[in-house]
Amino acid sequence: MDSAYLLNLAFNGAVIGLITALAALSITLVFGIARFPNAATGDVATAGAFAGLLGPVLGSGALPIILVGMATSAAVSLLFYVVLFRALAKRSPVASLIASIGMAFFLRAVLTYFIGHDQRVYPLPLVRAVPFGPLRVQAADIQVIVWAGAALAVTFALIHLTPIGKRMRAVADNPDLARSSGINANKVMVVMWVVAGLLAGLAGTLLGVKTVVSPEMGWDLLMPAFAATILGTIGNPLGAVLGGLLIGLAQELSTPLVGFTYKIGVGFLVLLLTLLIRPQGLFAKNSLVR
Amino acid sequence: MTAQVRPLALPLVLAAGCLLGASAQAADKTMVIGALTPISGAGSPYGSGMQKALQVGVDDINAAGGACGTSLSVVGEDTQTSPEAAVLAVKKLVEVNKVQAVMGTWSSGVTLAVMPITTAAGIPLLNTSGAPAISTDDKADLVWRFQATNGRFGRAFAEIADQGGFTRPATMAFNNASGIGNTQGFVEAWKKKGKDIVASVVYEPKQASYRSELQKILAAKPDVVVMGSYLPDTTIILREWFQSGENPDLKWIIPGWAANEKLVEALGPEVTEGLLSVDSISNEKAASLDHFNTAFQKATGASTGGNVYAAMTYDMAVVWGLAMQASCPDLSPKAINAKIRAVDDAAGEKVFTFAEGKAALEAGKTINYEGASSQLALDAYGDVTPDFSLSTIAKGKLVRKGVVSLPIE
Repeated sequence: MDSAYLLNLAFNGAVIGLITALAALSITLVFGIARFPNAATGDVATAGAFAGLLGPVLGSGALPIILVGMATSAAVSLLFYVVLFRALAKRSPVASLIASIGMAFFLRAVLTYFIGHDQRVYPLPLVRAVPFGPLRVQAADIQVIVWAGAALAVTFALIHLTPIGKRMRAVADNPDLARSSGINANKVMVVMWVVAGLLAGLAGTLLGVKTVVSPEMGWDLLMPAFAATILGTIGNPLGAVLGGLLIGLAQELSTPLVGFTYKIGVGFLVLLLTLLIRPQGLFAKNSLVR
Repeated sequence: MTAQVRPLALPLVLAAGCLLGASAQAADKTMVIGALTPISGAGSPYGSGMQKALQVGVDDINAAGGACGTSLSVVGEDTQTSPEAAVLAVKKLVEVNKVQAVMGTWSSGVTLAVMPITTAAGIPLLNTSGAPAISTDDKADLVWRFQATNGRFGRAFAEIADQGGFTRPATMAFNNASGIGNTQGFVEAWKKKGKDIVASVVYEPKQASYRSELQKILAAKPDVVVMGSYLPDTTIILREWFQSGENPDLKWIIPGWAANEKLVEALGPEVTEGLLSVDSISNEKAASLDHFNTAFQKATGASTGGNVYAAMTYDMAVVWGLAMQASCPDLSPKAINAKIRAVDDAAGEKVFTFAEGKAALEAGKTINYEGASSQLALDAYGDVTPDFSLSTIAKGKLVRKGVVSLPIE
């Protein structure tokens, strides 16, 4: 195995990991603040990816696709909160979890009913890869890196630098105390669900730019995203991102040893070992959004 | 006068009633068969056409007075192209509808999941799936395949690669029975020719990228890649190959269900130029295909629209009807099943419709039903030997280059 080969594997793993990380960040935000694992995250991403197909009406290039996709996912995410998760917030997290699974199936059924099972592709030009030394970087990969990097930066800035982020962290820390200190929990929730939807929509459209748009794409993204969330400690945004990258890298870099068939197993092996050795996840020190 | 007739009237009426009842019963004698097709899910472009084609075949049989005095009726269920849904559906067909045969399963995963249930119930399963495992798992000889096995697809790939003058083939297979079956069939046939392959990859589906897999293939510098793949993964792999800019002259041999108009639509003419698409084709020279196409058009008001599986499902009904006729008067599913090869006897008289076959059987002849989908020629495993078409994609259009007929082994 020469180093150029490994470098390309690592790069590919990092790009895939970034998409996983976006979905994981969405999951971990909801978990940290609304306190349940949102199984509808994947299908919200799918809804965004399908909506992105309307992007070219507004203009050419990936930008309108991604923006339309993000906006749609945010709207769907907020809608779910308003009609469902808000009413279930006082119940046990299991109620919200089950409801989110139901919503996931519902959303996929609606999509396939109206759009069908055929694959779709975004009308983006095919561009030859640019060599960076031994590395061959494709346009879609650059899109993923730039967009994911920007989204992560904005999300962290929102959480740590803005007043609403401060309130989000307060609600995550202790909802009752936050409420008695005069924080409008509903407003915090609205912002959080919109951000979670935007992240899911970005994950969905970027996955669509790299691959094809299909009704199952988000559901397939969900498992690695959950794994990344757990690996990086549930509720820890930085952990979710690092967890996604770690799983992506572990899968691709293990292929010379285990082959392509078992690389997905390696991702889950990493998760399993973490749970055995460090069940609270890698970044438990500052658990929850703080 | 009336007084004398009256004592006779009651028995007469009773006798007439019995006769009527008996004749009504004869007309009522129907056998129920199950249509288990993919109406939704990945197979949905084909499933409803298949279900209609089965009904067309059954209508043919009933119009000819039924088989062995028995007419057929069809109960349809949807597999959703999912093994789980198909298992529930087949249980319903067997236990509730008491079907005597199940026809039309499409995806290999579905057929492999349904097989144990039909076999345990002693009912034949007639399918259009490719996975080689279907042949070997069928110990009771109750499973009949009207589509080329993936192994035969592989043999066709090897013929085409040989004729194309390729010397350094590599293979890429989707990790399931169908994908691996295609490439293994190719490798076996290729090695039989005394040649070697330079690299092979089996990949997991539903990946965000197949770049690592592609990297391994391209590093071996092949002149052609033989695929055992589906449409979505093929779209992603070819796009990544084109964008990588590596081995731009590389050729691809791809099964027809992945290399079709939808692939061109997704990738554009530049990327797809020169791709080789191999598909099993209907029995284009046989009168049975004309008959089927006309009957299908008349019954549904639409053409089969290039759905090769429709003709296969139609043939299932006709073969079953002929086997019923051959097995008369014993109409148990096992007895009919045992007669399926007898209506496809290479030495028999060639027949092209159910009515022709029924007449010949009634005249005591042995027959060879030439199907609409293929010549059939069912082998020891109950698998057919169809012809293949080789097409290339030129300027965004699929252009037929020739027909590959495999020798019957």
